[in-house]
Amino acid sequence: MSARRISALVRRLVEEIRRDRPSLALLFIAPILITGLITYILRESDRPAVHAVIVGPAGPAGSAIGGAVSTALTAQGATVATAADEATARSMIAEGDATVAIVIPAAITAGQAPSFTIVTNGIDPSGEGAQVAAATRALASAAATASGTTPPTIEHETLYGAPGSDPISPYAPALVGFFIYFFVYLLTGVSFLRERTGGTLERLMATPVAQPEIVTGYTLGFGLFAIVQVAILMCWVLGTVHVPSIGPLPAFAIGLGVPISGSPLVAYVVVVVLALGAVSLGIFLSTFARTELQVIQFIPIVLVPQFLLSGVLFPVSSLPEVVRFFVPFMPLSYAVNALRHVFIAGAGLDSPDVQLDLLVLAGFAVLFGAIASLTIRREVA
Amino acid sequence: MEHVDGARPMTDPPAERSTSSAIRAVELVKTFGDLRAVDGVSVDLAPGRIYGLLGPNGSGKTTLIRLLMGLARATSGRAEVLGVAMPSRPILARIGYMTQADGVYPALTVGENARFFAATYGVRDPAAVEDALRIVELADRSSSITATLSGGQRRRLSLACALVHRPPILFLDEPTVGVDPLLRVEFWSHFRELADGGTTIVVSSHVMDEADRCDELLFVRSGKVIAEGTGAELRERAGTTDLEQAFLRFAGETARTGSDGAESDASGPAPTGSGG
Repeated sequence: MSARRISALVRRLVEEIRRDRPSLALLFIAPILITGLITYILRESDRPAVHAVIVGPAGPAGSAIGGAVSTALTAQGATVATAADEATARSMIAEGDATVAIVIPAAITAGQAPSFTIVTNGIDPSGEGAQVAAATRALASAAATASGTTPPTIEHETLYGAPGSDPISPYAPALVGFFIYFFVYLLTGVSFLRERTGGTLERLMATPVAQPEIVTGYTLGFGLFAIVQVAILMCWVLGTVHVPSIGPLPAFAIGLGVPISGSPLVAYVVVVVLALGAVSLGIFLSTFARTELQVIQFIPIVLVPQFLLSGVLFPVSSLPEVVRFFVPFMPLSYAVNALRHVFIAGAGLDSPDVQLDLLVLAGFAVLFGAIASLTIRREVA
Repeated sequence: MEHVDGARPMTDPPAERSTSSAIRAVELVKTFGDLRAVDGVSVDLAPGRIYGLLGPNGSGKTTLIRLLMGLARATSGRAEVLGVAMPSRPILARIGYMTQADGVYPALTVGENARFFAATYGVRDPAAVEDALRIVELADRSSSITATLSGGQRRRLSLACALVHRPPILFLDEPTVGVDPLLRVEFWSHFRELADGGTTIVVSSHVMDEADRCDELLFVRSGKVIAEGTGAELRERAGTTDLEQAFLRFAGETARTGSDGAESDASGPAPTGSGG
């Protein structure tokens, strides 16, 4: 160990990084930005607006409970409507006119535990927790005062049946989307940077190849890999292969076996379209990078915010309003929304939600592709 | 390469000699901030000849080549190749460009690299690829991964990729840097063969001993062409037998600081202006 040699190494590193302004900036600013954003999201989370619809308070006991629930919810700032029957309430939720329905049974006998049902959409399970909690609180206190001391039973249903007990269900679709986006971006960004630093882009620009041809070629080329990558990941996430016990080996299962109510093929299409957008994003961002390190540095400022603001972990509905403003600009948020519709609500290609999301995703891919085409030249010249 | 066409002066009918020139530049200027990388260069290069672009590192040779090819946008002035105003994408199919960096894909084989660039030029004939590889004597290495080649072999592959479409115009940016003397001789004999076949070649170099292999020389310093002519003419005009001395004389330098002595200014009296 020579102190002299070690200090030479240290000095060299300091000089190198000191001159790499983008790295330097990100080294210090990115962690502040990300921790700040997460803290802000958690601290300032808006309690999502509760739009309750109360169904069928029949009889004096029911009416009393309905009134009490309504008063309690209104006091909390919720809007409250009433519906004649459960079907109407459910369609109001499906249409987005209500976020939670409280179904009061037709017959309530004093001294007997009434059984209530709370219905939510079910697309965003983590976000809807707050709705269910608010409704439950109001219902419990109202029922207790109205019908004596017997605690009511409250069941939670979603438009698509009872909420699954699999804790990964709400997250799996979002995580599939995010990680495909992430890896396709990384692959493209680094490859395209290599094209530039290796001098092959300079050479390519000296051929009759046009920039949109380069972007399209990259999109299709990496698209091929994305198609395979997504297929493998989907099989892993959705499938389960049970391997029976053989001799001393216990039985085990391969695959995550996440339940999906819709068609895996539709989910597949959504993720592939998202991935194609990641290709053009990679080309576009690599324009601003000089080294592979800098391509990686775009992750905290471009990909992590998408992760935080697209409902992967934090429900979009409870994001602080300031932050929520940016959600529509996040391609990932459309993929997460579409995938949740497919996974949880069983939506197909005929669903307007999925159609809109796919359209926007394709739009992002084309938009970034066009921008990428325009930026290819700039940095070469 | 899109908008410049509209800026092409309509008042300029093809001059009588432009019909015979392969490459023409009129008062080309390219500035990067305060730096005038190319500072009013006018040249008129005839077909089938080898032009040597000679000058120290950083004198603007690469920028000049990129302007002539339309890869960079000129701040002012214009460039024409084969009578077409640059930048022009279609004309790039008739230009070969060997960059200073090898500019080949290390993970591909030799043959795959050559075939890829052939395809970008729209060449369908597989014989063209074979020819190009044969010229640089890499035909037997066609299935070798490029990353496993020696530096000289990669240089040769780079040249082959610039030749796959048999271009009538060839820009070679420091083609012999890092090339051993034996290979250098081979390169120059290829260049001569191509020129004899009618190809116009522009070779940049900062090595004066390659100059005599060119038909004509352009001395470049601080973004200006400070002299042009055959090697013999330039020696005679400078009154010396040594081209390096001639360059220094043209550059207004007397001190023997080597060809890289980029001193304060280039205000030295250039005997011939840039030859437009």
